Amino acid sequence: MARALLTVALALHVAGVALAAIGELRHRASLSRAGAFVLLSACFGELVALIARGLAANAFPLRTGPEYLLVLGWFVLTLHLDLWFRLRVRAAALVLPPVSGLMVLASYLFLAGESEALPLRTQGWFVFHTSIATAGVAALAVSFAMSLLFLVKERALKSKRSLRMLEMLPTLEALDRLGFQALLYGFPLLTLGIATGMVYSAEHHNRVWIWGIKEIFPVIAWAVFGGILWARFARGVRGRRSAILAIAGFAFALLTFVGMVR
Amino acid sequence: MLTLVGMNHRSAPLDLREQACFAEDDVPAALRRFRESTGAAEVVILATCNRVEILTRTTEARGLAGEICAFLSKDRGLDAGTIDQHVYVHEGLNAARHVFAVACGLDSMILGEPQILGQLKRAYAIAREHGSTGPVLDRLLQHALAAAKRVRTSTGISRHAVSVAYAAANLARTIFDDLHGRSALLLGAGKMTELAARHLASQGVSDLTITNRTYARAENLAASLGGTAVPWDDFTKELTRVDIVLTGTAAATPVLSKEQVRQALRGRRGRPLFIVDIAVPRDVEPAVHDLDGVYLYDVDDLQGIVDAGLAERRRAADEARRLLDVEVVVFDRWRQTFDLSPTIAALYEHLHQVGHEEIERYGRRLASLTPEQRAVVLDLTRSVIQKVLHTPIVSLKSAAERGDAGARAALYREIFGLVHREPPASDPAEGRDERAGPGPTHAIQGGKDD
Repeated sequence: MARALLTVALALHVAGVALAAIGELRHRASLSRAGAFVLLSACFGELVALIARGLAANAFPLRTGPEYLLVLGWFVLTLHLDLWFRLRVRAAALVLPPVSGLMVLASYLFLAGESEALPLRTQGWFVFHTSIATAGVAALAVSFAMSLLFLVKERALKSKRSLRMLEMLPTLEALDRLGFQALLYGFPLLTLGIATGMVYSAEHHNRVWIWGIKEIFPVIAWAVFGGILWARFARGVRGRRSAILAIAGFAFALLTFVGMVR
Repeated sequence: MLTLVGMNHRSAPLDLREQACFAEDDVPAALRRFRESTGAAEVVILATCNRVEILTRTTEARGLAGEICAFLSKDRGLDAGTIDQHVYVHEGLNAARHVFAVACGLDSMILGEPQILGQLKRAYAIAREHGSTGPVLDRLLQHALAAAKRVRTSTGISRHAVSVAYAAANLARTIFDDLHGRSALLLGAGKMTELAARHLASQGVSDLTITNRTYARAENLAASLGGTAVPWDDFTKELTRVDIVLTGTAAATPVLSKEQVRQALRGRRGRPLFIVDIAVPRDVEPAVHDLDGVYLYDVDDLQGIVDAGLAERRRAADEARRLLDVEVVVFDRWRQTFDLSPTIAALYEHLHQVGHEEIERYGRRLASLTPEQRAVVLDLTRSVIQKVLHTPIVSLKSAAERGDAGARAALYREIFGLVHREPPASDPAEGRDERAGPGPTHAIQGGKDD
């Protein structure tokens, strides 16, 4: 049941990505709007699939790497829809829905070989740790998208050629501001996620720190994001350098999932 | 018949356009004089800095081109021969097509410029307010104004930059969230700098600082723009504060170096700096553009954007013309139906009059009928008239759809001996249908429709 629902939601997600991208690139507002509504239905479908999976397993569906990816993909898509409908940031449709779609697709493929009846790890700290960390990474995905669009726009301004790109994307200031705001939400959540992970590790492995991929990469990402915030507040560093670092930080945060699905 | 006579920036020189132009306050009186002297049923005068156009409608098949030229000559004190040389004349559907094109800015000096839409709207409002428009010009202008809005939105014809100042402001809008309350530093107090600064100010840039080697000129320009003058030697201090730098000095070598800008960046805390260099030779070292967070555009860069914008406008104009062709066809269908309405009304009136007279003629023999029986007879008469009229009217309307209703309507009038009358003031779309009868028909209409 959950699998069938997820298949439908994924198909809707792919269709929404295509519609939204064509709408943005061809300046067709009707297609962009249609894409947003298809993505909205995909978002709803993914949520229902997640609930169905949780009910089938009688567990909070954040137990394994693929489940994290599914929740993360859904969360990123939700944030995109918030940006689209509430803040009218349309150009993010070129980044966030495909990124979240890839997460859901990867989750879909990995989940195929995974039984729903996994051992339960639904203790309070674990659920808190995974939920907080996933929400944090989702916010950082928005920061990543804004940073990527910032670099594209900056490149267009510097090259003095891509006029269409200049008109299509939000202003440089808006991209910088939105990326920074997402970082302001994402960084504390990531910090909490790492801290609660350590508490969980101490309780269950009797060690605060374990040298593993899913432990090392979040800390590297945390250090990068912390560095961006420090540079911004202390030195006023923003713009291109800040955007490049935010992209790198998000890449490290994503690598965490390699450790989870291995 | 519709007739449009006008002169624009292509057909007439500026001095002639100036003489032919009507001040807005003079237009109502001119409309009155025109109608009195020509007997036109409807008239609208559009007078802008680039065009003077008189659009009229007559109830006859003959246009008023000669009368409009004579009016212009007499009213504006212009030589008739000169007017003939410099005006264009559009009649019938071509006049309507021209109005649609003007509304869209397709006939403007700057392709797609939006001001003309407001000017046309104003011209129509004045004519309407003073009773100079009727059903056809009302319909034409309302349709043209609405179509122009739709076409402008769908083609984006007005969006692209067509001047260096416009391009600079557009670029600033892609960097900064909002230009309102932004600050700009002007290096140089020449005409070009002033023009570009005025354009930026019109977009909301309110904090203007002006510097010039001759301080008095900076002060004059500052007073004129509502800005602040600073001595030339102090301008680098402003670089840390302002959002936009606009340079247009006559200096032979750059006045702003990469090193000066690099030092200023230290105090800007990463805020972007947009530099517009409209001077030739250039005022700003090109290497400034390589600095992080600095965007330098010189006059060639801006001209490139203007050229691209014009090319985009031309492409959009082609699309707009295609869309307007459809709108013109829609208007033409309405007009043909409108032209038919007197004939259709007269047909109804005529046949119902015949029916009414026959009922009257047989009045004595019908007197013995009960009210119910009399109602049946009236209903029967009415039904026969409706059935007889149905096919000819459907045929007439089909001919209107094909665009050849005129000859057929004339034939109907001849066969039935109908008198041609002016179409009603209301829109035919809101007018009668085949079952609603004119004047005397009420006497023989039964209660079937009630």
